[in-house]
Amino acid sequence: MSETATLEIKSLAVRDFSLAIALALIWGFFAAMTHMNFVSALNLSNLAVELSITAVLALGQLLVMLCGQIDLSIGSGVGLMGGIAAVLITRDGWGAGPAMLVATLVALVAWLIMGSLIVWQRVPAFIITLAGMQIFRGLHWYVINNSTVPVAVGGQTNLMSLLTTWYLPKVAGTILAIVVIALMAASSISSRRRRREFGFTIEPASVAFGKFFVLLQLVVIGTLICNQYRGIPLSALILAATALLVGLLTGHTRFGRYLYAIGGNEEAAVISGVPVKRVIIGAFGIMGLFVALGGFLQTAYPGSSTTTIGESLELDAIAACVIGGTSLKGGRGTVLGVIFGSLIMASLNNGMTLQGLAPEVKYVARGIVLALAVLLDVTMAKES
Amino acid sequence: MANPNEFILTAAGIVKRFGAVTALGGVDFGLRQGEIHALCGENGAGKSTLIKILSGIYPHDSFEGTLTIAGAPAEFNGVADSRAAGLAVIYQELALVDDMTVAENIYLGQEPTKAGRIDWAAVFIGAAKLLEQFHIRLDPAAQVRKLGVGEQQLVEVVKALSKESRILILDEPTAALSESEVAVLLEILRNLRQRGVACVYISHKLDEVFAIADRITVLRDGRSVATMDAKQTNKSEVIRHMVGREITQLFPRRKPLKSGQTLLSVQNLSVDDSRGRIRLSDISFEARGGEVLGIGGLMGAGRSELLLHLFGAYGTRTAGRVSFNGRELNDPTPGRCIEAGLAMVCEDRKRLGLILDQSIGFNFSLSSLGRLTRMGLVNRPMEVKRNQDIYRRLAVRAAGLESVMTRLSGGNQQKVVLGKVMLTEPKVVFLDEPTRGIDVGAKQEVYELINRLTEEGKAVVLVSSELPELMGMSDRILMLSEGRFGGMLDRSEATQEKLMAAAMAGHRPITGNPVTGNPMTEIP
Repeated sequence: MSETATLEIKSLAVRDFSLAIALALIWGFFAAMTHMNFVSALNLSNLAVELSITAVLALGQLLVMLCGQIDLSIGSGVGLMGGIAAVLITRDGWGAGPAMLVATLVALVAWLIMGSLIVWQRVPAFIITLAGMQIFRGLHWYVINNSTVPVAVGGQTNLMSLLTTWYLPKVAGTILAIVVIALMAASSISSRRRRREFGFTIEPASVAFGKFFVLLQLVVIGTLICNQYRGIPLSALILAATALLVGLLTGHTRFGRYLYAIGGNEEAAVISGVPVKRVIIGAFGIMGLFVALGGFLQTAYPGSSTTTIGESLELDAIAACVIGGTSLKGGRGTVLGVIFGSLIMASLNNGMTLQGLAPEVKYVARGIVLALAVLLDVTMAKES
Repeated sequence: MANPNEFILTAAGIVKRFGAVTALGGVDFGLRQGEIHALCGENGAGKSTLIKILSGIYPHDSFEGTLTIAGAPAEFNGVADSRAAGLAVIYQELALVDDMTVAENIYLGQEPTKAGRIDWAAVFIGAAKLLEQFHIRLDPAAQVRKLGVGEQQLVEVVKALSKESRILILDEPTAALSESEVAVLLEILRNLRQRGVACVYISHKLDEVFAIADRITVLRDGRSVATMDAKQTNKSEVIRHMVGREITQLFPRRKPLKSGQTLLSVQNLSVDDSRGRIRLSDISFEARGGEVLGIGGLMGAGRSELLLHLFGAYGTRTAGRVSFNGRELNDPTPGRCIEAGLAMVCEDRKRLGLILDQSIGFNFSLSSLGRLTRMGLVNRPMEVKRNQDIYRRLAVRAAGLESVMTRLSGGNQQKVVLGKVMLTEPKVVFLDEPTRGIDVGAKQEVYELINRLTEEGKAVVLVSSELPELMGMSDRILMLSEGRFGGMLDRSEATQEKLMAAAMAGHRPITGNPVTGNPMTEIP
């Protein structure tokens, strides 16, 4: 008995930490291959911005995938929404705020329409969003007239360009990191205490501490490195806020429970009184908002909208979800898993670019990682 | 075991452990040539584990004890081995491909070929012959999706028999069958017995067991506790062996002294299905607080459809009025019904009742999250407290609120569905076959719960295809017949004969097989 129990705990721990271990291996590899350039303060600050783009989109994709749907249109949506904002600013002289607001509303409406078509006309999400992918790409190119449209006129800064160029002052960053660590510790302890009160099983203290320790390391090292450069980037804070919001939605609201229920068994959810159609449309609506946000970040990062902005981001987002343990059939997936999955995808993309690898190699490598992640997931699922 | 040669299948001293858990702690079982041997036991007694051992799903080196087939030791390493030895299993969960025809399903995995291509003529002619042989009037070219559950079960039986099996194991084959279909199945089995096929028959329905079995073996807590000749024992003895105690009263209905006011009133209701065919016509009834209204009828009578329609999950209303607690209930959806105080437990709990990958607690709360939400957030302490209360009240047997549903037995899964429904604090509860596929002990608990619900002044509408249950638990019984009103009988005047007559009231005269005499059920 004790032997099997130990084994169980071990396999549990391996599963929980497998993503962290994979990430460490990837970082070690790239650090070695790029003469430590990969872990330089400058590059890690860039990685933080790239991560925030991948992760914001992946968190939206998580909501969509939890209820058993999929969204292939987010890459070209990112291009379109960034393009609309850039054109309104540069060509029509709008302020960045109103321009982004309009683009956000366009995204919201477009995604609500796609969601409605999926639930009311019963067209599979795969097809509707594939159509959306083509339409948004075409509209994007039409809006920017196949040219390069900067997000700010004549090298000035505005709200949109600041998204990826503003950094939190170093002192503020340090204080924030300490506050975050304290909050993490407090929430971990209080959740354990609460589970004990409920009479639930509690994971061994060593595993709980291990998890806390990995997150602690990420925050501490991340802050230290960012502060070596210009401080914590604004986009990282945006990501943190997005992750908190999605965590709250999935873990603590009716909407979140309903997502899991619909993905788990849609027919049973209907009979249980879940407003299935509204929930799915809602998930797509939120996806639209995140696409707009990702679009502003992704366009502001290079500083202008071009025809290639947003290319294959939908696949990165799906890959990040699957690597993080989100089920393609719906009903299973967590915010933390998706963040780790995004970190792995963003690290891969960044590291390979830094190495100067040709695009053909990058495509193959990303494909292999995705396939491996799914294989791992399938084997794990079988064992449990 | 005087002459071992007459046993076609024996299992001796079978012990099977999963880690620290002992699923079977010593089972002895012998199946004679040409007998029907019933295997009885509560859920969790070890019947499924035993079947998996007999059929080779658990390889021979994963358990202790020995199996023999026709006197020779058998060491199965997989289903293919047991199949080669002439053993076929028909599981409770159907394993048919919905989009294929009856004939294709029968020959699935053993298609006759001609020059490397499937010989379709042989498939359809062979299937037609097999069906005819067992007097089942089904079209071999019919799509399985369009058949009723009972008809599908018969296809499954024919499929197993097409493999020239010497030994047939049936796991709860009649759980989804109407009385007339059960009769057809039992006739098929008697037919097979005469041809020397040996049959292991697993069922919770003791009436059937006594109607068909030659011998009965009872399993309890992973051990074989008794093997008896069916002629020399009786139901109460079998039940006593199964539960280890005497159950004095099978249907402990206690009617509250005074019945309450009318909670649900249905007047002249007519409903079309999604393809515009008439499914229910001119149905009227009412249900009062404190009473159990039973609804019976043959397969395809429209019992489930009636409940699902009232609950907003089936068909289009073409006529009639429904009022609930004095208010008109037009354009219902499950969400609105639950909010108004209606609740429904569906027949197929895995498909329509549960989110199987989630925990007990998740499923408990699913329908009543609105009551637990404060400022947009689900109040966890309040949720856990409510869930723990209902968990204890229903005596769910599991490792705790966080156990995943797939690990629970059928009876305990059903309790979770009942708990989910009770947490919505309903006034009227629809129960569609609430005891289907659950063991005797859990059945008693469901009956007890029905009593408690009515004592609290709620109305219970109970659909059941088992007449004894319907008569035992209902205060009044509405019989449906082909979607029409067949009769309303009071508890005191209801007899099996009268109920069956009412069930047939709207029927066209039946010629030939009752299975095909019925229109096919459309399950929404």
